[in-house]
Amino acid sequence: MQALRLARPRALPRPFLARSIAAASPAHATAAAPVAPHLPPEPIIPLSNVEAQWERLSPDEQLAVHQQLEELQKKDWKTLSIDEKKAAYYVAFGPHGPRAPTHKPGDTVKLLLGTLAGIAVAGGVFAWFRSRAPPPPRSLTKEWEEASNELAREQKMNPISGISSEGYKGKGFVTHK
Amino acid sequence: MRAQLVSTLLRARPAATRVAPAIARAASSHAHQETFESFTERYVNFFGQAQDLFEVQRGLNNCFAHDLVPAPSVIEAAVRAARRVNDYATAVRVFEGIKEKVENKQQYREYLDELKPVREELGINIKEELYQE
Repeated sequence: MQALRLARPRALPRPFLARSIAAASPAHATAAAPVAPHLPPEPIIPLSNVEAQWERLSPDEQLAVHQQLEELQKKDWKTLSIDEKKAAYYVAFGPHGPRAPTHKPGDTVKLLLGTLAGIAVAGGVFAWFRSRAPPPPRSLTKEWEEASNELAREQKMNPISGISSEGYKGKGFVTHK
Repeated sequence: MRAQLVSTLLRARPAATRVAPAIARAASSHAHQETFESFTERYVNFFGQAQDLFEVQRGLNNCFAHDLVPAPSVIEAAVRAARRVNDYATAVRVFEGIKEKVENKQQYREYLDELKPVREELGINIKEELYQE
């Protein structure tokens, strides 16, 4: 159907156009809406399937559907079929043009997967960098820090308020738990 | 010299004789609130007189823009206006608008029941009836 549409040149004469559309959806071609008898013959665009076709119709064909529906809605609304009512509603207020939804149905999953993939890649890069990093310096061990404390007390470093003062409760240079 | 004196005297008249009388104006004159009844009446009249689709849809936009749900009589007038301008889709859309404005499904149901005679008279299906899952 897509290929049919792509192969169809834009400037085809009207009757052929109409026939090609009817042929494109043979199941609905027979359900074409009855047009009021006093009207000139319009291109047959089945109203039963207007929702599916609307985006693909050319502006001319959309205009034809508009006019067809305009005439239909002048009749008593009780005589309209449900398909004609749906077509009238869809063309006026359906989700196309400015009322098209911002996201298509599958978009949420796509966004979620994309975000998770991004986070996973970032985590992978981080882990790879960490795995190739040199080990931490030897002065960052607990033993080294305790030895630093001993040296500081030996040398009476900061005797008034710091590590060598009386009753000192702090940890001094030890940063490890 | 004389003319100058006269003009000075004229300018020196007490101000009260020159100013316009004070216009009576309440402190909160902007807070004029339209009652729900007059709102309803205004829109029933509006939809009764609307002549084309643009006018009907403009009225609907205004009417549904307030912080209230239009009374059933307004809805009926709007739907009949849609019938007059031969636009079925707008009639369906009016009911969709009510669904947006009401607080809960129960109220929507009550609106639908209240307006059932009009819907049946004009042959309007609501959107849920058109697009049954």
